[in-house]
Amino acid sequence: MSTVHVSDWNLRWSRWLGQRVTLAAGVSILALFIFAAIAAPLIAPYDPIVHNSELRLVPPSLFHPFGTDNFGRDILSRVIWATRIDLQIAFLGVIFPFLIGTILGTISGYFGGMVDIIFMRLIDVVLAFPFLVLMLSIIAILGPGLSSFYIAMALVGWVSYARLIRTQMLVLKNSDYAVAAVSLGFSNSRIMFRHLLPNAIAGSIVFSMSDAVLVLLNGAAISYLGLGVQPPLAEWGVMVAEGQSFISTAWWITFFPGLSIVVLAFGLSLLGDGLSETLGARQ
Amino acid sequence: MRIEIAAALAMLTFGASIAEAQGVLTIGRREDSTTFDPIKSAQNVDNWVFSNVFDVLVRVDKTGTKLEPGLAESWTISEDGLTYTFTMRDAKFSDGSPITAKDAAFTLLRIRDNQGSLWSDSFKVIETAEAKDDKTLVVKLKTPSAPFLSTLALPNVSVIPQKGMEALGEEAFAEKPIASGAFVVKEWRRGDRVILEKNPNFWQADRVKLDGVEWISVPDDNTRMLNVQAGQLDTAIFVPFSRVEELKKDPNLNVEIDTSTREDHLLINHEHGALAKKEVRQALDMAIDKKAIVDTVTFNLGEVAYSYVPKGSLYHYADNLQRPYDPEKAKQMLADAGASGLSLNYVVNAGNETDEQIAVLLQQQLLKAGVTVNLQKVDPSQSWDMLIAGDYDISVMYWTNDILDPDQKTTFVLGHDTNMNYMTRYKNDQVKDLVAAARLEQDPAKREAMYVDLQKMAKADVNWIDLYYSPYINVTRKNIENFYQNPLGRFFLEDTVKN
Repeated sequence: MSTVHVSDWNLRWSRWLGQRVTLAAGVSILALFIFAAIAAPLIAPYDPIVHNSELRLVPPSLFHPFGTDNFGRDILSRVIWATRIDLQIAFLGVIFPFLIGTILGTISGYFGGMVDIIFMRLIDVVLAFPFLVLMLSIIAILGPGLSSFYIAMALVGWVSYARLIRTQMLVLKNSDYAVAAVSLGFSNSRIMFRHLLPNAIAGSIVFSMSDAVLVLLNGAAISYLGLGVQPPLAEWGVMVAEGQSFISTAWWITFFPGLSIVVLAFGLSLLGDGLSETLGARQ
Repeated sequence: MRIEIAAALAMLTFGASIAEAQGVLTIGRREDSTTFDPIKSAQNVDNWVFSNVFDVLVRVDKTGTKLEPGLAESWTISEDGLTYTFTMRDAKFSDGSPITAKDAAFTLLRIRDNQGSLWSDSFKVIETAEAKDDKTLVVKLKTPSAPFLSTLALPNVSVIPQKGMEALGEEAFAEKPIASGAFVVKEWRRGDRVILEKNPNFWQADRVKLDGVEWISVPDDNTRMLNVQAGQLDTAIFVPFSRVEELKKDPNLNVEIDTSTREDHLLINHEHGALAKKEVRQALDMAIDKKAIVDTVTFNLGEVAYSYVPKGSLYHYADNLQRPYDPEKAKQMLADAGASGLSLNYVVNAGNETDEQIAVLLQQQLLKAGVTVNLQKVDPSQSWDMLIAGDYDISVMYWTNDILDPDQKTTFVLGHDTNMNYMTRYKNDQVKDLVAAARLEQDPAKREAMYVDLQKMAKADVNWIDLYYSPYINVTRKNIENFYQNPLGRFFLEDTVKN
């Protein structure tokens, strides 16, 4: 484009601003939660585990801004401490599928042929089962707990990443620079991981942000069913489950951890959107 | 077209809403019935409906402490305690045929011998049951048995018609039985509701005020309470402890709190390591603050338990030992017994609100005595198998009595029976012998003394840890009168009035 009209410039500017605002909002929400997680011992006003039978089911007040639960535990402190576990769930629940899926998808897309067929059929098998059912059965075999949850996530979640990368690879491996690299006699692994992957990964990074939202909700759901985080540890999903029976008498037990899930999920979605626009613009 | 759809929708919603007929009592409960063959269930959901549909030879009264005549007008017991002679009342089944001694004998032999009977063990003591004539039933026992009469009040040994059962077949009978009680089964929509209507042939039919009863299953506690508050249900049973205070404030509702025989306790696996030592179990008893459980879990509606024979039931020993809550002393006792740093595996029923709350509390309390508790949440069907296999250290369970006599529970809990003393693997031969002797003893005073001894011995050995007694809690709309349960759980719907 040789000339830039004013209206065109305005549009670009507002788009650029939009991206920045979305990205910045996402980053700040995530940063807020990361800060809460790191500084939990300093900022949480009370011990999240110790019971206090004199302060049971206290509504939100100056001393207990989020109220207390049926054991007299401070909800605010529990929500803050739970941030540690929920961020860990979002991170570890995404990183393993991301790594496994990316490596397998790269190999599958780059080599094609038998390798590709085998991996793709494997993916079809995993996708043939409803996601949550497969998760639950794996956890049922391994026993309840967070490590089982991560293993189950890794076994089930990698397929989306593998498919994303494979599709990119199929296109990129025929591009000029890839052909050039082959003719220069570079090794397959060098071409795959140093030349092609950096150009293919942007989509996966963006996807991982929205995936983190799903993982977070899954983690909460699994804990809600009693198969994830075990008491007395605080986790938002567990807290929602514990407060369910008091929902008509003490709404604050479920409300605040529920709100935290929503806000963090919202932040991650914004981050994903912002990243997709920023990274997408570069390509 | 649109109007038609709207009309169809309206009909659907109307059909699905809860019937409003005059004189029909709607009761919301957690689960639906599973059968109407009395011998094939041991669950309260079934037994509580059996008592509406069938009558028994001997009944338990409203207080749950005395036996009174049912279909048997009177009875005599021979000197040696082996022969019982019952005189039958003039009564009819819902199909109009008379209830005879033959039917009663058939009922007793069926519960003893039928392959599908879950209660055959309790009736193995019967040698013969014969009808001398239509009005006279003679039962001979193999050995004297003090609790025998009270087992006849079990809803599971409700009198059923021999001819009717043989004509219908067991399966059809289990769907739509011939009634001997206050109501007949009009329709059973499996998974949804049981619809009963008044039985005009019931021998006390003039006592029954209701035209019918609907037992409706509403599994979610919150929804069930809302249904009563909104007037869609007349009553709801299984009110959660946490809701009582709030429901009491509702001017349209009455909250009924009736004494029950429910006792919650902490099972201990006596075969696991340090738990075999009596001192260790005593220390655990002292490390548990039962009052805190009563406060937090039952919202003060329960009471601290101190004997396996629940408060208010026959031969309960009110002066039984109550070990004080003293985590420091418990810690010391554990150290003396060489069990410092004890770590226990606690099996919890996932999804059971009360169980999970107790687990969280006990974990905190035991930590103060230096005991680490690892919670293992499992599905209720799995937890039962784990307890039977001995794959646990501690776990919370409860028991409600089915009969008035303490023998049933005592045999299960201390009798060294096939169930390994309710999965605890508790062993004490002195206790075992006393349980057997108490069953045979015919003198009530001597028998009471034996049960008092058993309660003391169980407490001394800490066969398990008694936690709390809790009542039945039901909620009714204000226009419902006389809706209550006796301590054995029986609803007296023949007395209930809907205004």
